[in-house]
Amino acid sequence: MALWPKKKNRKPERVCDPDADTFAVFDGVGVTLGQRTVLEDLTLSLKEARIGVIGLNGSGKSTFVRLLNGLRTPDKGNLTLFGAPAADAEPELPRHVGFVFQNPDHQAIFPTVEEEIAFGLTQLGAGKEESRKEARAFLELHGCLELAESPIAELSEGQKQLVCILSVLVMEPELLILDEPMTSLDALAVRRIYGKLMSLPQKIVMISHDLTHFENFDRVIWLEGGRVRLDGPPQQVLAAYRNDIEEKSGTKMELAAL
Amino acid sequence: MISIYLDKESWLHRLPAGVKLLVVAVVSIVLFQLDSVWVFLGGLAGVFALYASLGKDGLARLSVIRGLLMFFGIVLVLHWLSGTFFEGIVVVMRLTILFLAANLISITTRMDDMMEALMPLFKPLQWFGVQPRRFALGVTLVLRFAPHLMQIFAILREAYQARTGSRNSWRLLAPFAIHALRMSDNVAEALKARGGSAGLSR
Repeated sequence: MALWPKKKNRKPERVCDPDADTFAVFDGVGVTLGQRTVLEDLTLSLKEARIGVIGLNGSGKSTFVRLLNGLRTPDKGNLTLFGAPAADAEPELPRHVGFVFQNPDHQAIFPTVEEEIAFGLTQLGAGKEESRKEARAFLELHGCLELAESPIAELSEGQKQLVCILSVLVMEPELLILDEPMTSLDALAVRRIYGKLMSLPQKIVMISHDLTHFENFDRVIWLEGGRVRLDGPPQQVLAAYRNDIEEKSGTKMELAAL
Repeated sequence: MISIYLDKESWLHRLPAGVKLLVVAVVSIVLFQLDSVWVFLGGLAGVFALYASLGKDGLARLSVIRGLLMFFGIVLVLHWLSGTFFEGIVVVMRLTILFLAANLISITTRMDDMMEALMPLFKPLQWFGVQPRRFALGVTLVLRFAPHLMQIFAILREAYQARTGSRNSWRLLAPFAIHALRMSDNVAEALKARGGSAGLSR
């Protein structure tokens, strides 16, 4: 943070169209990190309700989804989000795009569940009392009112992740992005959280290494080395991805390539 | 995540955060003007009584002082070496009272109440175009992540011990710093995803 930040000229009018059917349009988008090219020449548009993102570690998945809520900005090409150029849309994106991270410990800021949920509401401008009341109502709506006063530290991993998802949903985003949300959960928690996610009205873009999660999705995007390797219906893409992994693991063990 | 908040209802929980902060501030100023053992003994008894008023869980929280025992030991030894052992005892008593009183606020105050109480202190920053909410949020984040950092250090120590057999080493400092930076990166990202420190209500 600059010691003496300049007053930014904020345009009062909104530039995003939250109801845009196609929420993201990539046109030759590239991202570099120092010398390394993380994403290259991405051209695609996203509008499906359930989109899965797969690929090996380091294939650019996390960077790809972070472009969708302004956590990363493209270094090359044009990105349009909710009908507006990414740079103009950025300040509004947290309203429209919820982001759930892999580790709930890095996402939950407040000690109790109710405060964590209420934070999103105060972010949107609600007063303290109002946001507390709304947070309780929201928890009740999702059948978790008994968790309201609980310290987040004392919840199970599954409950923590549920609280993180709810704390994002309470801001009523149109799009929900999940970066490996179930990696640290046990099998039962995975099933519950997955069921919850699939019941949501929000559009979803999710990264996961568990390919079974994507079988009923509308579309799966397979990234490899920062490029789209394959993009289409899950049956086709998942099968090709599984084959590719079989092939790679069948050849001699090359630790250096991991 | 670890937090130090004590989840229960008590008169100390109901007391406004601003009042609690003010009382501790005044008590600290007064204590630094005094050096009577009797006053400090009374102060210690008073703080213990306050913890006791929170019940069994409250008394259990007195154990936080354990973390400071080594530091107190060093203070006493230094004073003893310079021939002012008695003054050393006074210093330790004063610090104990202040530390326990400050901790009492952390365990009985909700984070959002604390933020609201701190906000007026940062009001003057508005003249320089800095939002006071940012600083209040900064303070809450420090309180929230201090115990988490201790946990990270414990994990590193375990990993080190598992391969070397010894528990502590200066070698752990560099990786700890890197872990801490990585964590703050992640937290900053998560905060930004929900609208950043200044909020979205502009």
